[in-house]
Amino acid sequence: MKEAAHMIVVLVIICTVCGVALSGFREMTAERIENQVLMNVQGPRVNKVLEGSQNDLIADRKVIKIDGQEVLLFMGKKDGKPWAIAYETLGKGFGGDLKVMVGYDIENDKLTGIQIVSHKETPGVGSKVTEDQFTQRFKGIEIDLKAEPEKRLSKKIDAISGATYSSQGVYEAIGKSLQLYMAIKKQDLSTK
Amino acid sequence: MEYIVLVISAVLIKNILLAEYLGNCPFLGTSKRMDTAVGMGLAVIFVMTIATAVTYVVQHMVLVPLNLGYLQTIAFILVIAALVQFVEMFLRKFAPPLYVALGIFLPLITTNCAVLGTAILCIRRDMNFPEAVVFAIASASGFTLALILLAGIRERLEISNVPRALRGTAIGLIMAGLMSLAFFGFVGVDGSLKEFIQN
Amino acid sequence: MKLLRTFTKGLWEELPPFRLVLGLCPVLAVTKSAETGLGMGLAVIFVLTCSNVLVSCLRNVIPRKVRIASYIVIIASFVVMVELASQAFFYKIYESLGIFIPLIVVNCIILGRAEAFASRNGIIPSALDGLGIGLGFTMSLTVLGAIREILGAGTLFGTQVMWSSFRPFTFMVEAPGAFISLGVLLALMNAFSKTQQS
Repeated sequence: MKEAAHMIVVLVIICTVCGVALSGFREMTAERIENQVLMNVQGPRVNKVLEGSQNDLIADRKVIKIDGQEVLLFMGKKDGKPWAIAYETLGKGFGGDLKVMVGYDIENDKLTGIQIVSHKETPGVGSKVTEDQFTQRFKGIEIDLKAEPEKRLSKKIDAISGATYSSQGVYEAIGKSLQLYMAIKKQDLSTK
Repeated sequence: MEYIVLVISAVLIKNILLAEYLGNCPFLGTSKRMDTAVGMGLAVIFVMTIATAVTYVVQHMVLVPLNLGYLQTIAFILVIAALVQFVEMFLRKFAPPLYVALGIFLPLITTNCAVLGTAILCIRRDMNFPEAVVFAIASASGFTLALILLAGIRERLEISNVPRALRGTAIGLIMAGLMSLAFFGFVGVDGSLKEFIQN
Repeated sequence: MKLLRTFTKGLWEELPPFRLVLGLCPVLAVTKSAETGLGMGLAVIFVLTCSNVLVSCLRNVIPRKVRIASYIVIIASFVVMVELASQAFFYKIYESLGIFIPLIVVNCIILGRAEAFASRNGIIPSALDGLGIGLGFTMSLTVLGAIREILGAGTLFGTQVMWSSFRPFTFMVEAPGAFISLGVLLALMNAFSKTQQS
């Protein structure tokens, strides 16, 4: 009995000490990790879709609430004035969720571009949607704010042959993104 | 129907041993004889299925609500170690024949990275509960399949004239490499199958 | 002298994973390039040395029956630390090592050294043992990674080393290449020690 108690006490002490040490370590690194994820995952994509901005896009990020959902918004500024925004939405591809970053020129209601943040598509087939050849086609497309959901983009982009499902996932994400854009446009962006 | 694609993919295309590089220590350690390979394979199917189900529940009922996601590694390995102990005790008491057959493999399974690896993969790939369980069974079956195939090859190698330096693990690794190359032939099967099902 | 041997045995006599055929999964999985091999090796050195020291400190406190459980908790804690630290400071490496960072927990070398060495020896020898074996492991991983990267991609640590018309054997960076190059390296080691003996 005494032996069992001893065993349990030792194990509990070890677990507690480890737990406390780890939560302390976690506290120390949490902020850096968040920054690293932003810099390495979203960073390169944001810089690409909001090309031409003069501010530090990662530092100027903010979280806004639209229709009860939180959106991480990146804002590009030129001469101190916001000119473009970008944020991520999800679409369902062939292998799973496709995370797409869509950038908008808010002055002219145009797409500044799209980038795939993460995907689970088949390498070499569905993964073609991440290539510039596909994503560049979305650059500069005008948006009709008053049109039906399907007709909001002024130009139709063809799906990649052999990667129909993956392409549809990208369209789905852009559709959701446009929906949010409507809501964001209604808010006064300059005050933010 | 989607489960069929998941199973095919986990068994043949992304075989846990030959393409995902998980569980190689027991793969080479227990593939020298056919009967040990079968025993190990069955024990892994048994433990991996239960372990994935339990760790899935731990992740979504305990770690995520308490915001302790970073303790995933430590929590999972403890759960798996405890589970293996428990399974061992349970089998010894209630299913002695099964215990005789699988007993000696169970302690090895705690440090089998295939078990922990599958549990973590299910979480990282955002699977839901039934998907995770099916994935675990399929992965373990893929493990067993590869293990039994390699055991068959190595039993024959026993009676062949292998250069001395290659004997033992070295030839085992090269055989595993050739098998992995053969399994490469299945790449793309899941895509066509999925398209076939959807149309 | 004895201490020195404790350190150097990991570099040749018990060089993992060739002499001590343990912990093969990370060896196969993360040696796609020399850089990831090196990153994994450093993570293993840290975990192995720290866990060896701590296990050695606590060797008279931990009851025998729960020793394995205690070792696993200790090792897992250091692994979580590596996980967090690599995420915070070496994000690229963290991403390319992926699931294999948490899997250091089940690397048999670490538990094996805790059980076979640290639980029976003092703190300094245990630390040296951990460092030596870890360094040997890092060496093996880096060399294997370099071979696979040079043949499979024509680069070393990301810089081009092969002539420009070189067509890389993509096969080498895929799974079959991992198994076969490790097998061949192991056979070469065997052949070498055979000739040394005779």
